[in-house]
Amino acid sequence: MSFRLTIEPSGEVVEVAPAQSLLDACLRAGVYLPYACHHGLCGTCKVQVLEGEVEHQASSAFALMDIEREEGKCLACVTTLRSDCVVEADVECDPDAQNLAICDLVGRVVRLADLSPTVKGIWLELPPPGLAFQAGQYVNLRVPGVVGARAFSIASAPSSACVLEFNVRKVAGGAATQYLHEQLRCGDELTLSGPLGRFFVRTSATLPMLFLAGGSGVSSPKAMLLDLLEHAWPGPLTLVYGARTPAELYDHARFESLAVQHPNFRYVAVVNEADEYWQGPTGLVHEAADEVFARRYADHKAYVCGPPAMVEACLRSLMQGRLFEQDIYTEKFLSAADATHAQARSPLFRRL
Amino acid sequence: MAHRKLTLKEKYQLMTRGLDWETTYQPMDKVFPYDQYEGIKIKNWDKWEDPFRLTMDAYWKYQAEKERKLYAILDSFSQNNGQLNLSDARYLTALKIWMQGITPAEYNSHRGFCMVGRQFRGAGARVACQMQALDELRHAQTQMHAFSQYNKHFGGFHQAMHMRDRAWYLSIPKSYFEDAMTAGPFEFVTAISFSFEYVLTNLLFMPFVSGAAYNGDMATTTFGFSAQSDESRHMTLGLEVVKFILEQHEDNVPIMQRYIDKWFWRGYRLLALVGTMMDYMLPKKVMSWAEAWGIYWEENGMALFHDLERYGIKPPKYHEIATLEKNHITHQAWTVFYTACPATAFHAWLPQPYELDWLSEKYGETFERYYRPRFAQFAELERAGERFYTNRLPLVCQTCQVPVFFTEVNNPMRQSVRQLDWQGMKFNFCSDGCKDIFAHEPEKFCQAYIPPQQIYQGNAGGARNLQEYAAWLKCEFGKDSGEYYTSEDYARWKQWHGGKDTTPSSAAA
Repeated sequence: MSFRLTIEPSGEVVEVAPAQSLLDACLRAGVYLPYACHHGLCGTCKVQVLEGEVEHQASSAFALMDIEREEGKCLACVTTLRSDCVVEADVECDPDAQNLAICDLVGRVVRLADLSPTVKGIWLELPPPGLAFQAGQYVNLRVPGVVGARAFSIASAPSSACVLEFNVRKVAGGAATQYLHEQLRCGDELTLSGPLGRFFVRTSATLPMLFLAGGSGVSSPKAMLLDLLEHAWPGPLTLVYGARTPAELYDHARFESLAVQHPNFRYVAVVNEADEYWQGPTGLVHEAADEVFARRYADHKAYVCGPPAMVEACLRSLMQGRLFEQDIYTEKFLSAADATHAQARSPLFRRL
Repeated sequence: MAHRKLTLKEKYQLMTRGLDWETTYQPMDKVFPYDQYEGIKIKNWDKWEDPFRLTMDAYWKYQAEKERKLYAILDSFSQNNGQLNLSDARYLTALKIWMQGITPAEYNSHRGFCMVGRQFRGAGARVACQMQALDELRHAQTQMHAFSQYNKHFGGFHQAMHMRDRAWYLSIPKSYFEDAMTAGPFEFVTAISFSFEYVLTNLLFMPFVSGAAYNGDMATTTFGFSAQSDESRHMTLGLEVVKFILEQHEDNVPIMQRYIDKWFWRGYRLLALVGTMMDYMLPKKVMSWAEAWGIYWEENGMALFHDLERYGIKPPKYHEIATLEKNHITHQAWTVFYTACPATAFHAWLPQPYELDWLSEKYGETFERYYRPRFAQFAELERAGERFYTNRLPLVCQTCQVPVFFTEVNNPMRQSVRQLDWQGMKFNFCSDGCKDIFAHEPEKFCQAYIPPQQIYQGNAGGARNLQEYAAWLKCEFGKDSGEYYTSEDYARWKQWHGGKDTTPSSAAA
């Protein structure tokens, strides 16, 4: 049994197990609440209960005053629920979030293609009406024989609700990606749940957009760009897309032709190791971006997607080029190996 | 989205923004004369993120209730003679140094935030500083009250403010805060809110409050709980301050780098006092200074600076030196306290056998080789009835005001001293870090009030030797200062315990 927790003003809904703290449930569901000490002493995670009953547990008498308890305040880091609840918390309201319902669906593989030596294209057909999602979001895919779900970004535009495209990079030693690369066949069925994530374009800001993508991290930016171009978004769009070699730079021709068709779309491709035919720049994504933007990124919205080292290098370039957290969005897909080597973080940034 | 509910941030902004105005009788630059000369450029004060989001009305209510609870516990503590529950009366040396050094610093922090709360052009920043100024005043006051029970029974607590302005070892925290208060408003908030309250706060607060809990000091532990919800706001302010300044203009980055370099090193030197407390003054040990430095600086601090590198900020200059010194500084400082304690308002002693073993366990070869023999030699002298006290005034670093007793990082047998000539005067420093700080602002630091020099100049009440100097501090040998095991504190403690020595036999709480 679990309780439903609604977080105002965003309206997000989270399931909370009986002995689980509010904060734990929110953070696991991807809803960020400010917090610090994690054991009821500092008061950073204080929220207002609007409806329902809570148990204050180990909340310190100094961190949560009697008058505050009477006003219905509680400390999310230790408080548990006794009923379904509605709380008001210090969450950011994102005008571009559609908060689409998460569905569980079964899709059938209708097409498979080797996009590059390491990336497989997978097209899944869903029963009508398909999946409503925002371009840039991902789904959790269940892979036969693999424990737990794996996250994959949808690489196609939301206009195609019934056929979703995925670009799957083969991870060395990764059971799920190995299965998808070697054993998956047309006609097979896969279970997925989604849409998930907060990586979508912020059109309400009407600022020029910059997409920085590394390797198969181009999936989300591809979906975003296709969606924006289909809807004739008038503002400037730039995609800086990097891969190790020209052979890994899949969809290169497709982006080139989109750039020809749409004068507001600028496409920059970069590879680490050029071959004899490569005419474009060599180097890393952030270096190519620095070149194109002369290290000046202010007044943009930037979307960064790729392996952790590429994302970090891009964040440094963007921030030293005067674009900061409120205008930068990232999606980091960590493989098990990436997570083990992850750098310890501080609370300096909320999202990045 | 028209009828969407407001977020807490939007509600607070609607309530608090726009209450400020552009002055017309006088130009804004004359109304706010100090927020530009440092070279920090603020393009848009509205980008300030309020870290407190508290109204004065709510603030008064919370703090009033918090203090009612704190004072109820302090009352019961004193009614029940709570001082008897201490692990050992030696613990009080840590509390005396807090009372004499840190409590007045809280008060100076209050004064500093009052000043910068007047000087920022942005109303959000002014309000945040004013709220913190109130917190700091309360902390100074509640600490004095928490410690007051000990003042009834033990020496050294009686004249903290008087000693703060006179004692050589208290000029270390005093000069830290006075340096910050006499800097520009942006440097002050970087020094106090960021370097002190954020980067170094765990290294200060954790040993004191956990140390109090481990050693049976309920009054101080309760003060710690009552302050923790304030401290978390102060830490948030520290992070907002650096982000705000760094994001406002790229020209701010090198200025902030210099502030961070300076205040990291100054804070680190100040923490030598705290490290010594952890390793030597707490009878029941929380963790060693080297362990605390490893967790709070090498892990957490470096994670923060890894994130700050995105702004182009590098880890503070000389932080590697601080890490290389972690196995040495506390033993060196305690040696100085042990030998110079007649000229202080606290007692010192030789580590007890269980403590020597604990230090060997925590510091291994370093302690065995360089410091244990030193304490063995002092013990030899004690047995011969010749307890060693130093009779001379130390050479003090012109910047951090710590006597130059630290050693070279590559040679623990060689004292680290740096010199610099400026306008015909010779200035001495404990390290390259302190020398660099002086070299950047010689006009400021040449004026530093250096206690030994003042004594020699006859400005310490005319004192001609350490005994007269101690009298000028209002410290009585044996009562307030000198060896612990021949002190009135120890005699009273023993008497309360039926004449038995109750020195603990293990470091575990």
